[in-house]
Amino acid sequence: MTRYILRRLIYTIPVLLGVSLIIFILFNLVSGDPTALLLGKNATAKQMVELREQLGLNKSLWLQYLDVVKSAFTFDFGRSWQSKQEIMHMVKMGAYPSLALSIPAFTISTILSILISLVVAFYRGKGIDLFIRILCIAGMSISSLVYILVFQWYFGYYLGWFEISGFEQGFPNFVPYVALPAIIWIVLSLGPDVRFFRTIILDEIYQDYVRTARAKGLGEKTILLKHVLRNAMIPIITYVVIQIPFLILGALLLESFFGIPGLGGMTLNALNSSDFPVVKAMAILSSVAYILFGLLTDILYTVADPRVKLK
Amino acid sequence: MKTNSLWVDAFRRLSRDKTAMMSLVIVIIFSVVAILSWMGILSAGWSQEVGGSNMPPSAEFIFGTDLFGRSVFDKVIHGTQIAMSVGLVTSLIAIPIGVVLGALAGYFGGWVDDLITWFYTTFSSIPNIMLLISITMILGKGIFAVYVALGATGWGSLCRLIRGEVMKHKEREYVQAAGAIGGGHMRKLFIHILPNVTHLVIINASLQFQTAIKSEVILSYLGLGVQGEPSWGTMIDDAKLELARGVWWQLAASTLAMFLIVLAFNLLGDALRDALDPKLKGK
Amino acid sequence: MTTPLLSVKNLTVDFHTQEGVTRAVNNISFDIPAGKTVGIVGESGSGKSVTSLAVMGLLQKPAGKVESGQILFNGNDLLLNNEDQMRKIRGNEISMIFQEPMTSLNPVFKVGAQIAEVLTIHKNMNKKQAWDRAVDLMNQVGIPSPAQSAHKYPHEMSGGQKQRVMIAMAIANEPKLLIADEPTTALDVTIQKQVIELMMNLQQQYKMSMMFITHDLGVIGDLADDVVVMYRSNIVEQNHVKSIYEGAKHPYTKGLLACRPNLGANPRRLLTVSDFMNEEGKELVVPAERLTVYDKELIPSHQGEGTLLEIKNLTTNFPIKGGLFGRTIDHVHAVNDVSFKIQKGKTFGLVGESGCGKTTLGRTILRLIEPSAGNIIYNGQDITNIYGEELRLLRRKMQIIFQDPYSSLNPRMTVGEILAEPLIIHGIGNSKAARLDMAKELMDKVGLKVMHLNRYPHEFSGGQRQRICIARALMLRPEFVVCDESVSALDVSIQAQVLNLLLDLQDEFKLTYIFISHDLSVVNFISDEVAVMYGGKIVEMGAASKIYQNPSMEYTKSLLSAIPKGQPKHF
Repeated sequence: MTRYILRRLIYTIPVLLGVSLIIFILFNLVSGDPTALLLGKNATAKQMVELREQLGLNKSLWLQYLDVVKSAFTFDFGRSWQSKQEIMHMVKMGAYPSLALSIPAFTISTILSILISLVVAFYRGKGIDLFIRILCIAGMSISSLVYILVFQWYFGYYLGWFEISGFEQGFPNFVPYVALPAIIWIVLSLGPDVRFFRTIILDEIYQDYVRTARAKGLGEKTILLKHVLRNAMIPIITYVVIQIPFLILGALLLESFFGIPGLGGMTLNALNSSDFPVVKAMAILSSVAYILFGLLTDILYTVADPRVKLK
Repeated sequence: MKTNSLWVDAFRRLSRDKTAMMSLVIVIIFSVVAILSWMGILSAGWSQEVGGSNMPPSAEFIFGTDLFGRSVFDKVIHGTQIAMSVGLVTSLIAIPIGVVLGALAGYFGGWVDDLITWFYTTFSSIPNIMLLISITMILGKGIFAVYVALGATGWGSLCRLIRGEVMKHKEREYVQAAGAIGGGHMRKLFIHILPNVTHLVIINASLQFQTAIKSEVILSYLGLGVQGEPSWGTMIDDAKLELARGVWWQLAASTLAMFLIVLAFNLLGDALRDALDPKLKGK
Repeated sequence: MTTPLLSVKNLTVDFHTQEGVTRAVNNISFDIPAGKTVGIVGESGSGKSVTSLAVMGLLQKPAGKVESGQILFNGNDLLLNNEDQMRKIRGNEISMIFQEPMTSLNPVFKVGAQIAEVLTIHKNMNKKQAWDRAVDLMNQVGIPSPAQSAHKYPHEMSGGQKQRVMIAMAIANEPKLLIADEPTTALDVTIQKQVIELMMNLQQQYKMSMMFITHDLGVIGDLADDVVVMYRSNIVEQNHVKSIYEGAKHPYTKGLLACRPNLGANPRRLLTVSDFMNEEGKELVVPAERLTVYDKELIPSHQGEGTLLEIKNLTTNFPIKGGLFGRTIDHVHAVNDVSFKIQKGKTFGLVGESGCGKTTLGRTILRLIEPSAGNIIYNGQDITNIYGEELRLLRRKMQIIFQDPYSSLNPRMTVGEILAEPLIIHGIGNSKAARLDMAKELMDKVGLKVMHLNRYPHEFSGGQRQRICIARALMLRPEFVVCDESVSALDVSIQAQVLNLLLDLQDEFKLTYIFISHDLSVVNFISDEVAVMYGGKIVEMGAASKIYQNPSMEYTKSLLSAIPKGQPKHF
């Protein structure tokens, strides 16, 4: 086990190098010289040279790449071009509102989806199954933007039930601010999640061991909740855990619509103001999270599935 | 003498499926509209002021007009052209990359597999939205950047899928039999294995297409998509300010158009899976 | 006369699918008396499994539907029971064992818990009691160190042990009726024998009735009291096992009895069902010369004409990866230092149980797997280290027929394309039409209809597909063919037809075979020389007749004694 984890950790090195390479290519090679952008039209040549030096852009490309790689391992991303703050400090500040929204929303939507898909699987082929399947597909066919716009307008402006914008630190102060975006999040996730979980559960229902369970005299409910669910949890865990890193990035659109000062909003701002270091930092951080949670998924696999032995 | 290839069988199953046929009709209608719009036959005058500002739907303008008095119907048509082109071009970029890399990795294994696995792991490690934003930001705003960004993010999952399937098929006896009669790698891979995974590519394409359409809307909303011409995304963006003033038709029209085509692709994808992947039959 | 425990009366089952309605079971009636074993015999698709599922109330809904009839269990019609009532009977009064032990157990629960579950549902036991009883049962079915084994997961057990777990689960509540659906088909011969003996002992110990479903009449002789023969959804014959063996009435039963090769002398070609009965089910008279038993050493065509293939100290290793960077840390010797010679025009049989290395050996000889050491000498030429064009040319001489007729044909190619492909690769035939003509010629030779040239593999039955595979292997007119378990996936009656075909083709094309199989009777029938493999090595080798009559190695003896006698033994 430890050996497996160690090996996987070593394997993350080439992936991180690759991520750094993509980011380096995008931001240092393709994007061109950012100094003109930062200093505006009236910048003097001298100012530009100074800034280039300050930003480390006069180093050789090789050294610039090394800088990106170094930041991927040390998490030292320097300062924002825009706010001049330490980027890691900004990340720490933004993490709280992001997680205040994403953790409850994600947890509720996952549990709800599993419950609904179990009900649907139990009544497979019947009216309710068909109804929920159609609802899922129809729901997935509407742009997430439309949900956000309409819900915000209807429940926020029109009915006035929820705060429309802003955030306050500390529980339960933030609740009114995250409630509506969390609901939208849940509505958005239900469609694809229920559909996916339903397929997984039905895949299991047609396995031979379910026939054995029936031959034992078990009832359909016990078979579903004990035998089938336990097996279905294996792919479900993978699907769920691998989404967690994206929670850290926050819900880009939701945060920007509802004025929540989280990481997603921060990334969008950085984007609009061409604040390369912040965008780079967020890309690297989310990749690191993705890689680590990928490792976590594999470890959870051994817990859920006795057949998997990590070597 | 009737003889049925798996493709003919699949098509027969598909043609019996009413939802699938309806979906196919919708896809065809949207494609025709997109082509006519691209040729300048439809919606060429979307930019002209044809009526008053923000007129609600009426007999003259079935979707009403926008702030500048332009026909929302024409804008939706033009948006269709943008959406379909994004779906098509990104599929044309992502699918060949995914299929070729996945097939090579799965078939040859060894260092080829290591390299390609590393490549797609690296790409999929960066959250799609970050990669999308970064690429469009760097290539400059506009439709070209959207094509490249969506193409570059779309191939990973297909590559992984094809790799796994090719690995499975490589061990099957029919591929070994092709080796035993003297067939080389290219024959085994391209004549034997690939036709047996093509159905996955088709199913994936319908997914790819609608994901691209949905992503274009978001990128356009973020201001990274098409510039200076209407797309469903920019129309939904306009609605952000309009809704409070009770102007709902621009949102409704673009949402309806998008809903129809994405729904059609969703249903078609499901029906294709049922028809082409017989082992999933009856679920 | 006492009422039977189970009485199936006029049962008809239909399957309703999109393609229409198929009759799976047509108006069948039979009884299972208390304490007796009834064997249900038939080929795949004959309706025997559907019958058992109907008894259990486990027909796949909503497709499978009982149209009419009664299933009386202890005098009560099971078909009138609701789901709750059936649940109390399943696993309690009637229990069932399935064919595939590999997939029939839930992979994520310990086997002990899976056995205990059936006790907690029906017997009001608490977890501890049920677990203790489960360990007890595991001991009874002969699982070593049951207290520890109960904590194992299914994947940690062998196929035979898993089937024992299934049996333990089935007998846990001392059911009155045990249904076994091909319980030994997926197991190796020696394991098969042990499992059948176990089931017989348990049946007597618990005074159960048993419904034993199989495609192989040979298995049933040892354990059944009565036999029911099913053919195309109907029962064609039912009688005491002795009467069936000694005086079968229906031509289909006669065919089934005759088509299985036995260890003694066989006719020159095996009899098949079609010798006894035509397509319409009308009885035929079998010509006397078809029945004549022959001694193969006296047949001139089986005299060797010099060595065609010589294997010298052949070893094939598979690497075991491990360590931090997945380096190769060790090897499995799949084939370990094997040497033998094959005479031209003869058949060399290779027998052994799964995992003994026989398949790897066959593929190594053809260079489909790379050998690690040793030499393969074909017709005087050392082919161990040839590559590229030279190896490709060799493929014209050496061919293979695989085991699984379902996966060995490309489902997206027509039969014509499949058969023409070898010709295209080797540049034989100057036009498509010429190549198709050659394909047609061979289709005719292997007993396929030439007009089926444009059909796809899924439109053929298993036996027909295997014929296509044979035709493909012969397209290049090879001298040497490896038959890798080529008849193992087929029903016994089809198996006999394919074996006959292989022999006919051997005579016509002067072929030399390596015939790989786990079935000793089949190998005995077809081979001139036999080698027994165990753990990657050949443990015994010699003339077929010698090995079968005087085995010198313990392992060979145990293999031989495990073969079902194909005769009823208790009367």
